[in-house]
Amino acid sequence: MVSATKQGSDSAAQDGEPVRRTTPHPADTGLNPGSGALDGAEGDSSPQDGTGHGTGGHGDGLAPGLRHVAFRAGIWRRRALIVTLRVVRLVRTGVVRFLPGLRYLGRALQKRWRRSLQFRTVLTTLMLAVTSFAVVGAYLSNQIANNLFQERLTQAESETRYNVKQVQDTFDGAQVTDQSSVITLVSDTLSAVEGRGSVIQRRYVFEAMPNQTKPRNRWVESRASDQLTVSVIPADLRKAVQESGKDQYWASTVIPVGTEDRPGIAVGNKVTFNGTVYELYLIYDLNTAQQTLNEIQSVLWAGGAVLVLLIGAVAWYVTRNVVSPVSHAAMVSEKLAAGQLQERMVVRGEDEVARLGASFNHMAASLQEQITQLATLSQMQQRFVSDVSHELRTPLTTVRMAAEVLYDARDDFDPINKRSAELLYNQVERFQSLLSDLLEISRFDAGVAVLDAEPEDLLQVIAHVIEGAAPVAAEYGSEILYTAPEGSMIVEMDARRIDRILRNLILNAVEHGEGKPVTVTVAANETAVAVAVRDHGIGLDQAQAARVFDRFWRADPARARTTGGSGLGLSIAMEDTKLHHGWLQAWGRKGDGANFRLTLPLRQEDGISEPPLQLEPKDVTTPGAPGSIPAEEGNRNMLVLQAGGATPAPPQASEETP
Amino acid sequence: MKARILVVDDDEALAEMIGIVLRNDGFEPVFCADGAQALDVFRSSRPDLVLLDLMLPGMDGIEVCRQIRGESDVPIVMLTAKSDTSDVVRGLESGADDYVPKPFKPAELVARVRARLRPGDQKAPETLKIADITIDVAGHTVSRGNDRISLTPLEFDLLVALARKPWQVFTRELLLEQVWGYRHAADTRLVNVHVQRLRSKIEQDPEAPEVVLTVRGVGYKAGV
Repeated sequence: MVSATKQGSDSAAQDGEPVRRTTPHPADTGLNPGSGALDGAEGDSSPQDGTGHGTGGHGDGLAPGLRHVAFRAGIWRRRALIVTLRVVRLVRTGVVRFLPGLRYLGRALQKRWRRSLQFRTVLTTLMLAVTSFAVVGAYLSNQIANNLFQERLTQAESETRYNVKQVQDTFDGAQVTDQSSVITLVSDTLSAVEGRGSVIQRRYVFEAMPNQTKPRNRWVESRASDQLTVSVIPADLRKAVQESGKDQYWASTVIPVGTEDRPGIAVGNKVTFNGTVYELYLIYDLNTAQQTLNEIQSVLWAGGAVLVLLIGAVAWYVTRNVVSPVSHAAMVSEKLAAGQLQERMVVRGEDEVARLGASFNHMAASLQEQITQLATLSQMQQRFVSDVSHELRTPLTTVRMAAEVLYDARDDFDPINKRSAELLYNQVERFQSLLSDLLEISRFDAGVAVLDAEPEDLLQVIAHVIEGAAPVAAEYGSEILYTAPEGSMIVEMDARRIDRILRNLILNAVEHGEGKPVTVTVAANETAVAVAVRDHGIGLDQAQAARVFDRFWRADPARARTTGGSGLGLSIAMEDTKLHHGWLQAWGRKGDGANFRLTLPLRQEDGISEPPLQLEPKDVTTPGAPGSIPAEEGNRNMLVLQAGGATPAPPQASEETP
Repeated sequence: MKARILVVDDDEALAEMIGIVLRNDGFEPVFCADGAQALDVFRSSRPDLVLLDLMLPGMDGIEVCRQIRGESDVPIVMLTAKSDTSDVVRGLESGADDYVPKPFKPAELVARVRARLRPGDQKAPETLKIADITIDVAGHTVSRGNDRISLTPLEFDLLVALARKPWQVFTRELLLEQVWGYRHAADTRLVNVHVQRLRSKIEQDPEAPEVVLTVRGVGYKAGV
């Protein structure tokens, strides 16, 4: 039959070219009606669909991939849902039951993350590796799935084209008129489509197109392979086939095979038999492709997992090689810092790490040498101070006793000898106080001065010092005004040192107070106690003020020697204060006298939060300009010198106790 | 009768000077320049007081002090060139009653010597009790129950001072004045060391004293 030939040629033409698309070729649609060998009815419907269904077919043509994916996605979605629900339930019970443990674990991991470079590197590497493998794996798996499907589809299309042509040829060439032979012919023809041999290569669904007048000799309405009905053919595909001409369409579907559902491709076309148009769908099982894909995927998964583990292990090994010398170095330097000076790094090889170790060891060695040297020097210094102390003091004691004996007997001497005895006596006294101050300061320098702190009443110490200073004050014609809270004031202190500091401050104030009253004020708060010693003498300017606590410093070199003293009094007071973790500060202004404030913590371990007394005395007014802002006055010099913490309060001036 | 004083010092000039000063004040000095011989001289001269230098050839002053204390309660005053806490405390712990740091004034030395030689003024029969301790002031004895406790004269004076006024809290300064005879401030470590030594002899548990109690921040008082 002409139409058969036409079809054949069409098919041949299509077979010739690589069939990528499943959409109807425009050439086909164009040719089919032109062949004109078909029934009017069919001829009519075909061209009409040619363009009308071009788009539909196209939609279907793109859909196959999508459909296939959608199908797979459906299965996966369901599986994922089940897995997710299970996981959620597991996590929920787990969280409730193991929450404390998890929290501990989390904290431990966090700590590990923060503290271990190796852990962090390995974990980051693992996460990056997993992410890249997931991306690459997904891409590969998708590509492979697509290729497998495309290959199978191409095969299915060409097979279908061939088989449809075969069927059409058989039908066209058949000379059967009776019902039984028609049925037999159709059955045989369709069985042949299923494939030869025991393996079913493809399945079919054979269905008369609906809505056509039933010819007289139409005995076959529908046929299908085992287990199949027309319902496995997606409605879209049927519609496309029905509405087109002799074009081939395909769609993904699910077919029942045995007890399971398998993915498949249905390819449909029309055949004509005895004036009846039938839809013939050939259905191909994609199971083998799916299995191949599954296998490839599982290989990918396994390979990926093994690779990730390998990468993790490699990262662990590499970072361990790099980090372990570093952490070794950290450990060694911690030990060095803790005083184990003989600690060294292990050096192996000649690489960067070995160089680090070598230079680290070099550093440690020179550090050890320096420290040992310093320690030796310090010991020598201590021994020297101790020896000087002994060697000088013994003869000095003799000299002093002799001087005193002479001094006591001076009234029996002639005037020259008498004056000599007096000078000897006084200068030996001075020599002695200078020596003891020097020795005291060397003790501080050698670091051997220790605080012998005990809780004692500060007020008693102050009262005692004031009592002792009273004769000196009377000599200078000044008065010591004492303001203190009632009761006692227990402070953790070395009373001997505090006594010395206060005696120094008060005698200093008396000597520089020009006969004006000296005020001693005591106040306390929760953490600290403060003693302020204020004089109203000549005060100091800025340049002088900056050096108050310097050794051997004197406010006025010209009159330096008129009063006794070593020039070390305030330096020693400062060292004593430092030993107590306290502050010793000075304020002063030219013409307004000076104010020294000693602040001590109530308990040694607590420290001072805020001083109980102001450093700048309240009675100070800016000279000549009561309303002006004192801070801008040119001669108002303040400077804080303090031991212990830094207080940026400006104080200033003071004088040295000579 | 002149009080005899043994001066143990290796510095001849100083020893001689001390001798001049002591003789001036009516004492009879005996000298020893070697630590190793100090004990022999001590035994032969039977002094009323020992002035002992800490740094001695032959034998350390501290060792000499310990040996003398081992056989006699005679007052020992150390002469120290070092005023470092550890040396002073070591000396006091080895049994010295007092110390005079070099350089000292003659008057200071004589005052220390006189204070230690002060005869037990109150010889009137008197019995004091603190806690479970009985003190016979005239007989110079201390006992717990029937057990006699041996104290040096200084420790005895310290205990008596506290026991006489059990209601009073003694500051260290007050004790220095009453027991050691200091007029002005001196090192209160003297008091601390001797209180510890006293406690080690009279307390049943020196860690939890019952006879001599510490009043934190002030000083000491007798237990009731």
